[in-house]
Amino acid sequence: MAIKKFKVDITEFSEKEKILFEKLILAAELIDPLYQKQKNERYPGANFYPHDASKEEIEQTAKKNPKILDPYTFVERNKSGKLIAIPFHKKFRKELKPINKLLNEAAKLTEDSYFEKYLKHKAKSLLRGRYQESEIIWLAKGPCKLSIVIGPIERYLDKLFFKKCAYQAWVGILNKKKTNEATKIKNIVLISQRKVLPESKKIDVAKLAVRIDKSAIFSGLIADFMFTGTSLPNDVNLIEKYGSVSTVFETSLDEKFGKDQFPIFQAVFDKDFQKSYSKEELYEASLRCVLLHEISHALMYYKDAEDRLKDLFPVVEELFGYILGIKCCGPLLLKGVISQKELEAILIMHICRNFTWWLDSLKDPDVSVYATGAAIAQNFFFREKAIKTKEGISWPDFTKLFICVDELSHVLEYHLALGSYQETKKFIEKYGSFNIFSQFSKQLESVLRK
Amino acid sequence: MIKKKKFYLTKNRLEKIKEEYKKFKELLRFKTQEETPTLLHSDDLSSTYLSFQEDLNLLKKRIFELENILKNAELIKIPPKEKQDVIGLGATILVEMDNEIDEFTLVGTIEADPSNKKISNESPIGKALINKKVGETIEIKTPIVKHICKILKISY
Repeated sequence: MAIKKFKVDITEFSEKEKILFEKLILAAELIDPLYQKQKNERYPGANFYPHDASKEEIEQTAKKNPKILDPYTFVERNKSGKLIAIPFHKKFRKELKPINKLLNEAAKLTEDSYFEKYLKHKAKSLLRGRYQESEIIWLAKGPCKLSIVIGPIERYLDKLFFKKCAYQAWVGILNKKKTNEATKIKNIVLISQRKVLPESKKIDVAKLAVRIDKSAIFSGLIADFMFTGTSLPNDVNLIEKYGSVSTVFETSLDEKFGKDQFPIFQAVFDKDFQKSYSKEELYEASLRCVLLHEISHALMYYKDAEDRLKDLFPVVEELFGYILGIKCCGPLLLKGVISQKELEAILIMHICRNFTWWLDSLKDPDVSVYATGAAIAQNFFFREKAIKTKEGISWPDFTKLFICVDELSHVLEYHLALGSYQETKKFIEKYGSFNIFSQFSKQLESVLRK
Repeated sequence: MIKKKKFYLTKNRLEKIKEEYKKFKELLRFKTQEETPTLLHSDDLSSTYLSFQEDLNLLKKRIFELENILKNAELIKIPPKEKQDVIGLGATILVEMDNEIDEFTLVGTIEADPSNKKISNESPIGKALINKKVGETIEIKTPIVKHICKILKISY
């Protein structure tokens, strides 16, 4: 089961809001069984494609029938053995009906007319298999108190083509104060105009909203991956026309920081070095890492990147998000928005987050996309001696680390903007080795045991 | 002798600070003359009194801060035309830095608001750009970050 509940405070909710909130939680919970039917770690195409079908056979059939590679269909064999596409909403009609009912009931309880409209459209979209309209409504509305994102959304389970969307849901409560602070950072990062690589098909995002949520529940893929942030939608055409929303999941970050990131910091770095940074400073840095990563996505959408890089796309895209986010700290430091020490803490937490993805991939191979990206960054840092290590204990050289971030950002930008599949594959093979992490296994024993 | 810190302000901001100071002084007078709650309730200080004292302390602190700013305020003046090719406080600057084109106005620390393109003269970039001219390329260096910055345009 992939359902993760977080403690949130709803004491200030009205009775009506409490019932509405409960209905959203129930709807989210009902998503997980659908995800479980899509998931299958033994096959790169999970359960989206017949396990005996080769990549070539699927590609060939898709040429005649594009529905085969539609994000919202299962591919099955009919009686004569031919590959056919079955839409998710038809296959899961029975399971989706109670979710539809709960969302409609919740819509009647809200006093926010836009949220009501969104919930009604979302309910309808799940049964009809047409998701765009509700996404457009979601993008148009401002940050409302409650949020629910539900449906087939993320493509990480499909390691064959990175096309099929896995079901997930989350329910969150807006942290207004932190959202306002995050919006300021977003405005500063997006204020300058980045030069675009000639001949690349970069798109400009119509608008970007950021929100920091106290998530109450993760269900489906997001519960397995335990995201600390996300930027949606994934469709670049929608992003170009209607914009994007970046969400940071505060409660998930609290848990990841406490259970993994901070213990990794204590296990990997030199004890004297550790004394310079408080737990609070490092938590804030981790939050900034996530926020800047999500904001950076808005600076790196290319029309052709997914089709060009296929299954390699998420490795490059996610890593570039982290790296570009840190690179953005350069102007933030020079403009007096963050201090030198805050930038140091961000770099430290980036290194710790890299370890976290590797540890997560040991438990769940599906998150290997993130772990591979993390390994590339870590290999780059070690190769350039930006992190010095003796008997598994490390000291970072911040100047070198930042130079590495700059170099890596140029390389990743090239791959995402113009790189061919083969070039990017070679790059990932060269730098994506997990040995860079496993040499720390002894130091990380206590974290691994958890 | 310790040199007192100067606060560089635009005319607009200076007026606002004067207004805020006047308002808070009035509030302080009103609070101390009219509003004082009962000081003691049995042997303990009453919670109303404690909260009143807390408010009062915050108010006094802010008034002290504003007095300090007003005492040491220096008005940002637009330089004469012949000197407008040099970056000073109040200048709006277009720069190219690390493959990005950026534009911002140099202001004093109090008015700094990077999300609204107002950068402090005390920030690393502010310090590096002051007194520089169009066409100059400068290196802005901190222990971690190093950027080359080309000044494309200065306007007041």
